[in-house]
Amino acid sequence: MLETSRLAKSYAGVPALKNGSLAVVGGEVHALMGENGAGKSTLIRILAGATAPDDGTILIEGVPVAIESPLKSRRLGFRFIHQELSIIPELSVAENLFLGRPYPRRFGFLADWNELNRRALSALNALDIRHIDPSLKMARLSIGDQMLVKIAAAFLDDGGEAARLYVMDEPTAALTSAESEHLFKVIAGLKARGRSVIYVSHRMDEVMNIADRVSVLRDGETVATSAISDISKADLIQLMTGRRISDAYPARTSAAGPNSVLRVAQASSRSVRQVSFDLRAGEILGVTGLSGAGQSELLRLVIGADKRIDGDLEFTGQALKASDTPAERWASRIAYVPRERRREGLLPRAPVVENTVLAHLRSLSRFGLLCNRRAELLASMEIASRVKLKSTGGRQPVFQLSGGNQQKVVLARAILGSPKLLLLDEPTRGVDVAAKFDIHTLIRQLAESGVAILLASSDLSELIGMADRVMIMREGRQVAVVPTDGLTPSTLLGISFGEPA
Amino acid sequence: MIRAIRKYGTLIGIVAVILFFWINIPDTFMTARNWLNISQQVSMLAVTAFTMTIVMAMGDFDLSVGSMASLAGIVAALAFKAGLPVPAAIALSLSVGLVGGFVNGALVSFVGILPFVATLGTLTVFSGFAFLISGGKTIFGTDIPAGFSGFARAGIPLFQIGDQWVLLPYLSVLALVALLLVWVLLEHTVYGRRLYAIGGNAEAARLAGVRVRFLRFSAFGLTGLGAATAGLMYTSRVASANPTQGSGLMLSAIAAVFLGMTMSEEGEPRVLATFFGILILGVLDNGLTQMSVDSYVREILVGSIIILAVASSSLSKLSQR
Repeated sequence: MLETSRLAKSYAGVPALKNGSLAVVGGEVHALMGENGAGKSTLIRILAGATAPDDGTILIEGVPVAIESPLKSRRLGFRFIHQELSIIPELSVAENLFLGRPYPRRFGFLADWNELNRRALSALNALDIRHIDPSLKMARLSIGDQMLVKIAAAFLDDGGEAARLYVMDEPTAALTSAESEHLFKVIAGLKARGRSVIYVSHRMDEVMNIADRVSVLRDGETVATSAISDISKADLIQLMTGRRISDAYPARTSAAGPNSVLRVAQASSRSVRQVSFDLRAGEILGVTGLSGAGQSELLRLVIGADKRIDGDLEFTGQALKASDTPAERWASRIAYVPRERRREGLLPRAPVVENTVLAHLRSLSRFGLLCNRRAELLASMEIASRVKLKSTGGRQPVFQLSGGNQQKVVLARAILGSPKLLLLDEPTRGVDVAAKFDIHTLIRQLAESGVAILLASSDLSELIGMADRVMIMREGRQVAVVPTDGLTPSTLLGISFGEPA
Repeated sequence: MIRAIRKYGTLIGIVAVILFFWINIPDTFMTARNWLNISQQVSMLAVTAFTMTIVMAMGDFDLSVGSMASLAGIVAALAFKAGLPVPAAIALSLSVGLVGGFVNGALVSFVGILPFVATLGTLTVFSGFAFLISGGKTIFGTDIPAGFSGFARAGIPLFQIGDQWVLLPYLSVLALVALLLVWVLLEHTVYGRRLYAIGGNAEAARLAGVRVRFLRFSAFGLTGLGAATAGLMYTSRVASANPTQGSGLMLSAIAAVFLGMTMSEEGEPRVLATFFGILILGVLDNGLTQMSVDSYVREILVGSIIILAVASSSLSKLSQR
């Protein structure tokens, strides 16, 4: 159906893609894998008509084509679903769905809202999405539901330009397991109708489950294409990284200490209801649940970003006041890595140094008042090497870094002040395999050195691989706390859905 | 090349403007006396713009600085009229500025009103107060102590021409002191760095332990204090106070900060850059006046130059994508 050969593209003399070769047949799900910076995005941008290749050919059904604009790409029947949500929260679901397309009209100029909503409903229903009301404001939907709407938008067929290839770039990054399952059903439906999917993901299990074939890019070159049934996870990792990284999570080598670091008793906020647990030094407590079940909000409650309305928090034996802001919590050596790194974590245009020292300006200053740039630079560089940050130096603005390295910057900020309690919200979301491994290794080291860690994640294998116990939440309440020994992702998912622990 | 233009475009513009006036007004423009004169002319605007940079570092605005300057001048003049000693009158006037600034800060950070709207409201309120307490009339020189108005006329003697000393006016010294203070505050203290962090991403800053509310509240206070200082300087200079004296300050101050922002790599407001923004505005005003260009034409020119500078920096940023 689609064949690209030897596509190449350089930016300012630096090759981003050297030999992008990909052959997709009709009705297959073709996974595209590779580390961040391997050239996946460039290849996708070329297919989308957002960038012109320097060299190479694109064949569709054997006929050479040039994709000089996004419009051309659309005419060729390509549809793109990006990891980044580009939605307009103030508009309704239906308006977001039909954004950039002609609205149905009344008398030729008035928008026909009823008709628009009706069409939106049928577009959602076509994907078996029945729980979203198209007249709702987009802002009122969960992130996962917003993603489903964006996906539905890509599936709209208009004006006879039938879609034949869907390119999905990490579509499940923001989805919960249940929402992902929903998407996989949609993908299966597409396959059944003879359409093809290029599926980009860092999540190995997903790829093994839904893809038919996989192509691996490394350093801008396609290094392998294989049927999924003929390849193992370990092979894939080796292909992507060019070296062998153990797929297993770094194992715990010592037991958690006896001292309680964080004691939460019947704590409630606007979205968390009466949660109680005890977290010991060196222990990793996982937190999971369906999206919006209160995992993120529990962390925000502990860091003081959301107001506590009931219950008690005790940190290293001292009560934490409900009136505290994140400033007091950081000062008492609680560190936090928020869920949305770009919106909540980074100062995008500021350099690496400023981003890493942000929470520690006072402790690095002279007399608590004057900035000491030299001390800041030294501290930042030291911590950057500890998290294995790849940057051109402390002065590089963080928006230029890859997702994995941006996450490492946020992580570096969190561990710079040697915290006693570390709150991590989806620390490896949208992060490539190598960076993920670095981050997991770092989390393990921190736990071994006695840091208590609260790890909220929707990646169930990550929770089982890293945590000592996992707390499952539903609708803001804790439904169970289970030890991870012998736990499987399916039991964990089952409990999230409401099966007895 | 484009990079160089973007980085130094505004500086090149300043040099070009200076050369233009030097050539066209050869006798008087490039003289020490004229430059000292410019420095005094812009000193009030400079103090306002420097302190405006503090709130703009957080990505906020303060539209009320002009009417605060008017109000502060009126308050001082009325205090003199009531027989208060000079230091007490100055202290009273500055406290009005600080409190007014805190009102802005409270509206923005604790009530959560957009700075544009909040300070637009207080702009009107401060101006209303200035008219109310002055009865809408100018308060004239007889009530203003010579010690106060003399300040604006005096300066640090630099050198002698004939038997006349050329002075560095105290008003200019005050503006330089304000520049130094704001520069230390923004570039060398934890406080300033946190303001820039808020400007970079307020939510990220809050979650990283920056007290966003308190900082915004206090920063507006400092801007109010700066506006009141400018009002006092004006009252001292013209030895009178009227309720509209500060009306031109706000737009020019914001323009100066914007002109400065075109000079920094990431388009952030930096106070040293604001200084250059002030320089452009001051030189233009002085030169065009000397060339007897009509004041309305002057306005059109100054406005166009601001748009040109900001547009060129914004376009060169677009072309980078």
